[in-house]
Amino acid sequence: MEYLIHVLVMACLYVILTTSFNLLIGFAGLFALSHAAFYAFGAYATAILTTQYGLPFPLPLLIGVAMTAGVGALVAIPAMRIGGHYLVIVTLALQVIVLAVLLNGGHFTGGPDGIAGIPKIELFGVALNSPQTFLPLAAVAAVVCAAITFRIARSPFGRALKAMRENEAAAAAIGKNVVYMKVAVFAIAAGLAAVAGSLLARYISFVGTESFTIEETIYILAMVILGGTGNLWGSIIGAIVLVFLPEALKFVDMSPDVADKMRQVIYGLILIGILLVRPQGILGEHRTAPRVARRERTDAHATEELGPVAAAPGDDVTIRARGLAKNFGGIVAVRNFDIDLKRGVITGLIGPNGAGKTTAFNMLTGFLQPNAGTIELRGRPVSGLKPHQLVQAGVARSFQDLKLFTKMTVLENVLVALPHQSGDSIAAVFLGPARIKRQEEENYHRAMEILAFVRLRDKAHESAEDLSYAEEKLLVVARLLATGAEVLLFDEPLSGLDPTTLQEIFPIFRRLAENGKTVCIIEHNLDVIKTLCDVAVFLDEGRTIATGTPDELTRNPELAQRYFG
Amino acid sequence: MTAAHQSSADPARAAAPGPTGTAVLAVEGLHTGYGKKAVVHGVDLALQDREILLMLGHNGAGKTTLVATAFGMIKPSAGRVLFQGRDITGRKPAENVAAGIAYVPQGHGIFRSLSVRENLELGAFAVTDKARVRKTLDTVFQLFPILKERAAQIGGTMSGGQQQMLAIGMALMHEPKVIVLDEPSIGLAPNLVGRVMESIATVNREFGTAILMVEQNVKYSLPVAHRVVVLKTGQKVYDGPPAPLEDRVELMKLF
Amino acid sequence: MDLFLQLLVNGVVNGSHYALLGLGFGLIFGTTGIVHFAYGPVYTLAAYATWALVALLGLPLIAAAGGGILIAAGIGVASYLLLYKPFVDRQAPTFVVLIASLGLFIVLENTVGIAFGTDKKVVDVSPDIFLLGPVVFTELQLWQIAALIVVGSGLAAFLRLTSYGKAVRAMTDNADMARVIGIDTGKVSMLVFALGSAIAAIPAILILMKDGGVPNMGFIAVFVAFLAVVVGGVGSLIGAVIGGFLLGLVENVGMWQIPTEWQSTIAFFVLFLVLLFRPQGLFKGT
Repeated sequence: MEYLIHVLVMACLYVILTTSFNLLIGFAGLFALSHAAFYAFGAYATAILTTQYGLPFPLPLLIGVAMTAGVGALVAIPAMRIGGHYLVIVTLALQVIVLAVLLNGGHFTGGPDGIAGIPKIELFGVALNSPQTFLPLAAVAAVVCAAITFRIARSPFGRALKAMRENEAAAAAIGKNVVYMKVAVFAIAAGLAAVAGSLLARYISFVGTESFTIEETIYILAMVILGGTGNLWGSIIGAIVLVFLPEALKFVDMSPDVADKMRQVIYGLILIGILLVRPQGILGEHRTAPRVARRERTDAHATEELGPVAAAPGDDVTIRARGLAKNFGGIVAVRNFDIDLKRGVITGLIGPNGAGKTTAFNMLTGFLQPNAGTIELRGRPVSGLKPHQLVQAGVARSFQDLKLFTKMTVLENVLVALPHQSGDSIAAVFLGPARIKRQEEENYHRAMEILAFVRLRDKAHESAEDLSYAEEKLLVVARLLATGAEVLLFDEPLSGLDPTTLQEIFPIFRRLAENGKTVCIIEHNLDVIKTLCDVAVFLDEGRTIATGTPDELTRNPELAQRYFG
Repeated sequence: MTAAHQSSADPARAAAPGPTGTAVLAVEGLHTGYGKKAVVHGVDLALQDREILLMLGHNGAGKTTLVATAFGMIKPSAGRVLFQGRDITGRKPAENVAAGIAYVPQGHGIFRSLSVRENLELGAFAVTDKARVRKTLDTVFQLFPILKERAAQIGGTMSGGQQQMLAIGMALMHEPKVIVLDEPSIGLAPNLVGRVMESIATVNREFGTAILMVEQNVKYSLPVAHRVVVLKTGQKVYDGPPAPLEDRVELMKLF
Repeated sequence: MDLFLQLLVNGVVNGSHYALLGLGFGLIFGTTGIVHFAYGPVYTLAAYATWALVALLGLPLIAAAGGGILIAAGIGVASYLLLYKPFVDRQAPTFVVLIASLGLFIVLENTVGIAFGTDKKVVDVSPDIFLLGPVVFTELQLWQIAALIVVGSGLAAFLRLTSYGKAVRAMTDNADMARVIGIDTGKVSMLVFALGSAIAAIPAILILMKDGGVPNMGFIAVFVAFLAVVVGGVGSLIGAVIGGFLLGLVENVGMWQIPTEWQSTIAFFVLFLVLLFRPQGLFKGT
């Protein structure tokens, strides 16, 4: 019986580890295999602070968590620049370095012998020196830590994390500060792992490097994969299954050493098996309509209008670019680009291939910094701003290759793009939940309005990957509209659509302009330009050659000559 | 210029080296795309023997998707691909190569880290008769002397135009009956484009190879074409002689 | 100064060892794009198989070594066919393949431990010892350097002169184009898994003779191999060799000033810095 309780205690610790790890690899998509290192940090911090400095509970725990969170934030730095398997190997390397430091830390870390004699916690006069006495604390810690991860996952911040995971460029393009998100999630995941580490140290009164090897990280990884990345209940189940399952080996007669290896063989096989047979894990990613949705479904009144757009005083020119230039190591892509984008007007960018349209577009939206020239948004210079800052200022773009958040629902794709969400900040998630809840309700209605505008309301709760191609294109428009930006720049929004669908979608773009938006599109199908655009700008050799109505430009023999090289 | 002319060999050209009136590569009612993105919506076209057929159209009209499907890189959702009258729909690229179709994909389809000679030899990977390969290599070197000069040079270090010639040379190495070229002029300086087009015309003239060429650079490609096909939003909107398209304003109406 | 020279020689020896590891791993990674973590256990199994052939079957060392190499090649091909190919065929995302290979790593490494026990396996070699001025080295260390030279040139010849070798280079360079000209990428993948694993077997067997074999010897091997390839630039075999060589040198010469136990830490620190500032590697491969 005592042994069973011991296993339960370990299960609690692993719940903390798996939920925090899932936040990092499942929700944020940051494949950092250094979790055992964070676990170790928490454990050793407590070990050292108690045995060498005699600090009482809960100080070592708190200090350990803070320190490890700091380390986590540092690890986020390489994660800025590299991803994929490079991040994996870097974090594995980190793990090895940490272990080497612990092994060679001499007296300070106890070296290969570890640190023993860690004092037990005393709570309310009871010494937590047995599984029975420790279990309540472990359970409470597990519940609290898991609750923290659940709260984050279900908050607007969690939604933004998933968007970042799906497509980082698109997340930036809808105004998310990706740097902040990566640092925050690393710090939190690391801090939570440290809680588990600290508890482990206090539970078995010993820390040694054998508990924090690569195998340990892979063990935790197996639990997360088994339960399903992106599903926190799955992580809890995965932790429980993989902590209890190997105990079945106790019934088979073998030496503890062999049993230990046998357990690892089982983890490895389960990992491979799950990936082959059911890669989404037991529970798969959690996809439900937000809580708000269940409350009110009567949005029959959701109109197809966007609501009034504040009439700006004076000049109707929203964006004014003059003399923009961009070169890439000697090759001049754009040399002298001028454009005026006006409120209520759809402007088209046309020109032969290689004319510099995409480069010009990228400069207007902050994805490239111009080498020369100015861009003004209602008189305010904006050339130096990063994409997410430009979005917040009111200039947003779509992508030629869509970059939809495929594993999220249609509604979530729009929700995540809505501006001024206090829930984007971790602090607000925990300190201002009432405000966030209110915003979520408002945002839900707003999102539904937008979906109604693009005729996608019925598909709100479907996964983006289940949409038809034409519907995907509409979702791109909806997501862009959701940013609330005044200036909408579309990169080939209608490419690949058949003529019938085009006729259905044209009115939606016209209504954007009628509602006072400033719209600019790049399109290679000149029929689209002629139908949609009030004004077209002809680029060639990186310069603005002519401006006029699409009919004027396409009937001009000189321009036609230029168009075809 | 909106009616699609039915394709038949221009009688004035029949006598001279040029199209002979038999379709060597054809697609019938082709519907194809990527995953759920349907790009080509029911296109018929036929490349005649010994002909240079130029395919034009705006970006995203489906040109690359169509030719890639004809070669076997993509499986169509409906319709057929025929080679010398035989149905080859969905056949793997390697089989099409062995049957005599060569494909030069967009962006210099060469092996950048290998030498010119190695690239050319790899072009003949499927050919078992090594003596024949050596002969073909000599022919290609005669056609493109610059490749002979730089036979030992690493492909990736050559200029864009030279790389394109290498790509065409590779295609020739297994003596194909048809060469499908996807935007051979992409990324090349204008004067080089002219030279590449010349070599394509020479290949057609001297070896009688039928050529299906997708292009964006109308200025240099139109003069070498026997016939032109224009795609717009996945459908064919023109199929006829190149002359009427000299009027660029008329051509623009097709884009 | 004497110490420095000794460390330099050790660095060259270790460098050769790491270079070979990088070569085998780089061949597989560069051609197929698969991060083959199970490369570590294949390395371990090569050593253990050789030991078993000597200790349990009484074969002479040369024959046992040959057997070890063949067995390694076989396991390499098997891991491709049974584990990686199913994922590649269904176009699974790269991180799924990576995790699967981590799983395989765990399974194989521990199976070795269970089957053979954790005691160190040694083969009796009694190598000659040489002195060159103040520097001491053994016959085995010479073998390690020689192995790099022989295997390296052999591989270079294979890649340059044979049609299969050219197919490998073509696929590494541009897999799509390789398919366009009729190369069977599945067969080429099997070939590089076999070759890469066979190449890994050689340093494994030499280490068996020099230090003995332990079940977790594979971890460091695959780690260093990955490191060498990343530092050198993915797709560049020369880069992998130089990357591994540099690593060995830095590690050993570093010991001149830094205490021994930090040896492996240096290596990973180098990796960290390279990935941070020049992720494409020192020799930008294709």
